Amino acid sequence: MISRRGLFVAAAGAGATAVLASCGRLSGEQTTAAAAPAEGPIFFGVSAPLSGSSAEYGKIWRTGFDLALDEINGAGGVKGRKVELLWEDTQSDQKQSVPVAQKFAGDSRVLAELGDFASPASMAASPVYEKAHLVQFGFTNSHPDFTKGGEYMWSTSTTQQDHAPELAELANSLGKKHAVYYINTDWGKTTWKLYEEHAKKAGFQIVHSEAVQADGADFRPSLIKGRDAGADVLVFIAYYQAAALLTQQAKNVGLTQTKIALPSSAYSPQYLALGGEATEGAQVIVRFHPGDPRPEVRDFVKKYQDRYGKQPDDFGAGAYDALKILAWAVGQSDGTREGVRKALAEGKDIPSLLYGPFAFREDRRVKVPPSTRLVVKGGAFTLVGA
Amino acid sequence: MLDTALAGLVNGSSYALLALGLSLIFGVANVINFAHASVFAVGAMSGWWFAVDLGWPLWAVVLGVAVVTGLLGLVINVVAVTPLAKAPPIAALLSTFAVSVVVDNGAQLVFGPETRRFPALLATDNLGLGGLRFGTLDVTILVVAVGLMLLLGWFLRSSRYGRAIRAVAQDRDAAAQMGIPLARVQNLAFVVASVLGGVAGVLGGMYLNNISPTVGSTVGMSAFAAATLGGLGSLPGAVAGGLLLGVVEAFGVSWWGGNARTLITFAVLLIVLWVRPSGLFGKRAPLAAEPMTGTFFGAARTIQLRPWQVAVAAVAAYVVPAVALDDYTVQIGVQVVVYAILALSLTLVSGQAGQISLGQAAPLAIGAYTSALLTTSTGLDFWLSLPIAGVVAAVLSVVLVSPSWRLRGHYVSIATLATGLLVAAAAVNFDWLTNGPSGVAAIPPPTLFGAPVSAPLAVYFLDLTILLVVLLLVVRLRRSTLGRIWSAVREDEVAARSSGIAVADYKSLAFGIGGFVAGIGGALFAQQYSYIDPSVFGISVSLLALTIVVLGGLNSPLGAVVGAIVLVGLPEALRMLQETRMLAYGVLLLAVVLLRPQGLMGKVAR
Repeated sequence: MISRRGLFVAAAGAGATAVLASCGRLSGEQTTAAAAPAEGPIFFGVSAPLSGSSAEYGKIWRTGFDLALDEINGAGGVKGRKVELLWEDTQSDQKQSVPVAQKFAGDSRVLAELGDFASPASMAASPVYEKAHLVQFGFTNSHPDFTKGGEYMWSTSTTQQDHAPELAELANSLGKKHAVYYINTDWGKTTWKLYEEHAKKAGFQIVHSEAVQADGADFRPSLIKGRDAGADVLVFIAYYQAAALLTQQAKNVGLTQTKIALPSSAYSPQYLALGGEATEGAQVIVRFHPGDPRPEVRDFVKKYQDRYGKQPDDFGAGAYDALKILAWAVGQSDGTREGVRKALAEGKDIPSLLYGPFAFREDRRVKVPPSTRLVVKGGAFTLVGA
Repeated sequence: MLDTALAGLVNGSSYALLALGLSLIFGVANVINFAHASVFAVGAMSGWWFAVDLGWPLWAVVLGVAVVTGLLGLVINVVAVTPLAKAPPIAALLSTFAVSVVVDNGAQLVFGPETRRFPALLATDNLGLGGLRFGTLDVTILVVAVGLMLLLGWFLRSSRYGRAIRAVAQDRDAAAQMGIPLARVQNLAFVVASVLGGVAGVLGGMYLNNISPTVGSTVGMSAFAAATLGGLGSLPGAVAGGLLLGVVEAFGVSWWGGNARTLITFAVLLIVLWVRPSGLFGKRAPLAAEPMTGTFFGAARTIQLRPWQVAVAAVAAYVVPAVALDDYTVQIGVQVVVYAILALSLTLVSGQAGQISLGQAAPLAIGAYTSALLTTSTGLDFWLSLPIAGVVAAVLSVVLVSPSWRLRGHYVSIATLATGLLVAAAAVNFDWLTNGPSGVAAIPPPTLFGAPVSAPLAVYFLDLTILLVVLLLVVRLRRSTLGRIWSAVREDEVAARSSGIAVADYKSLAFGIGGFVAGIGGALFAQQYSYIDPSVFGISVSLLALTIVVLGGLNSPLGAVVGAIVLVGLPEALRMLQETRMLAYGVLLLAVVLLRPQGLMGKVAR
């Protein structure tokens, strides 16, 4: 029988040994993974919600990614190597996105990472990617601070700084008394703050504003407030599910003549399917729309429709574009993680479905062209004025 | 005014329908059925399938859904509840939780994760009152809720089986002695309740317009609150609770905004429990039939490790990750350690003092926010923020749970559940303090000997050391006089009180010390992610913590560690399953609860 003191000494000794044995891994310095293999497939990690309440976005990503993979590998891959994705389910929860980041960081085959879906899940994982010198391509992360996480955080998403003022302008063109409902997430709140800022500067009149629960089901009591405040335009800063619910329930509380203005996150065939007739006349600003006459867009829309039997939305097109950009970057690089970052930083005419040839700005975002306005007409999104 | 009240009333009737089923099951089986909300979702999804894909008319849809959800209810009872009849209620609670994980994720695989439109099979805006448009549908929902309550009341009062159900609800043993077939009656109760849940799913689906396989969780928590509000086991209470909650929520939202809904729901619940500990319509039982954890310890003894075994394990915990594991696995190890600390706080509260807490995420969140806010906004050193986090969590835990000292059995669990949700909702709503949904970012890593502790292995060593200290503390406490007093409170509250023990004070102390430990865990949690927001501290964290201690063996501190390794490690080990990962996790969880209701580290005395 060992005495208690003996136990303590043994434990302390073991602790010290362990500390000494692992000195290199204890410092907060860069953790360099082994060099990437020069042969075999090229791997990208995908940190995405495949289960849980955001799972449907992971599913939409898959449609875009699969289409891009077929194109890339069908054309002989990148430098003759096939491209493959390593999917990891995080439920878009930062408790899971961090270990996943650690997993990708330690896997020397992974040349870059795509995701996560929600900005908080991405931003919690950013320090890990930064340390591993691994590009984190958060193509849906519109949070202004996402790319400030470090040199390895890149995004093709519009930021709310660009988007919110455009939304306010759209709303003001539809009515003079704004009632703004925003989902109470980091994204919703940030967009609302920027919206309010712009509205103040421009002298727009906001008669009611309210945060609503993102997964809420019954918005009637909130909408009644907007109705009683005399709103003539409703702004729903929300993803398409909540936006569709709000649109329907607005009619239910008697807001039948009121105009509706939406951000691009509500732009989806799903919005029309979920909202039904109530969506008629709603207007939305988008960066991508399937009616765009550019040949690459027409080609993509046709392929997408043939394969999935529906029109691509912002998330599907964004996923497709993101993977193609990363594949392009690997093609330009020396096949290392650092090379991918350099290719993104130095690329002048990066081919892109969303923006045409573009270059990243200093802040690792895209200078986004002014958005397009669409209106729901006869149950479909059509260009305003068309 | 009038339209707000009406909107609340209609919304409240879907709570009422769900609460009816919950109350019925509680009355008969003495189980809080966590899977009930999933039954609602299955009702909604299968209703959608019948109506849209198969094009059935409304009556056929309702009939089809009744068959599907009735069968589901039967399966839930046979698979997850009946086998645990002799186990303490806590085991059945966890097994229904496991079932809900299985059903939710199963539905997501079968139907796909998309949100979809539920066809309005009844008119939704053909009537009007005070500017609010409503329709046949809204009236139908209201009438159906009240009608089903009356029908159920008649069935229970007048029919043979109804009387049998009531007899079982009053006294299982006596009913069995009178020759009532317990198994059949309980099956019947589950079928009836689940059919109600399924019908609620169809009506709710039409009312909400949009549904998804996870729709149950949104409505489910409010239904729990409604059932408890009315008094668990009381049918008029369930309906009154549902309608009341609907109306209060509607006015609350109207006054404080839509994001305050959760805050309102659970604040109302706690206040009602404070004034009326058995709910509005519940009868106060003269004595709780049986403590939540009671028979557990009579039957199970914990497996004791010898000191050298503990020493070897501790040494291995330091050495193995350092020499043999990569950073990813070490990162998982960090999570295991933090959850183990959280679980140890429950070993005290639930294992030692017998107070089942479904809200231990609350002190974790309080500790995390305290440390995060102090280190980011005042620049306080992490090491100073650590004890402060513990103390703040301890104090707030005692204050928040204090209204529940008069509560017994399941009401304690529901009150703590409410506390957990309330704290998360407060973190969302109190922007000025917590930064709301944006959370607290850039939390600096602690420094030790001038170097930042941020690499996974360094964080692991730090957290592991604190875990060992906590472990020692818990073991010491259990063997102390205080530990024995807690055991006395747990085993027999009346006897303890008769022997002059100030029961409420000792319960407070358990929540206080437990809160301190969880608060320390929270501080480590915040530093580990360098970013926290309210969504991190959801109900799933509380349930996971409780599952860990029950799985590990409620009364075994080492069990908390073993449970954390298994339950935090499992979802990671299942990663290759991709979309089916959480389904497999649910199935394994269910299997473990069924096979070892006494816990991994408990053994049954023969």
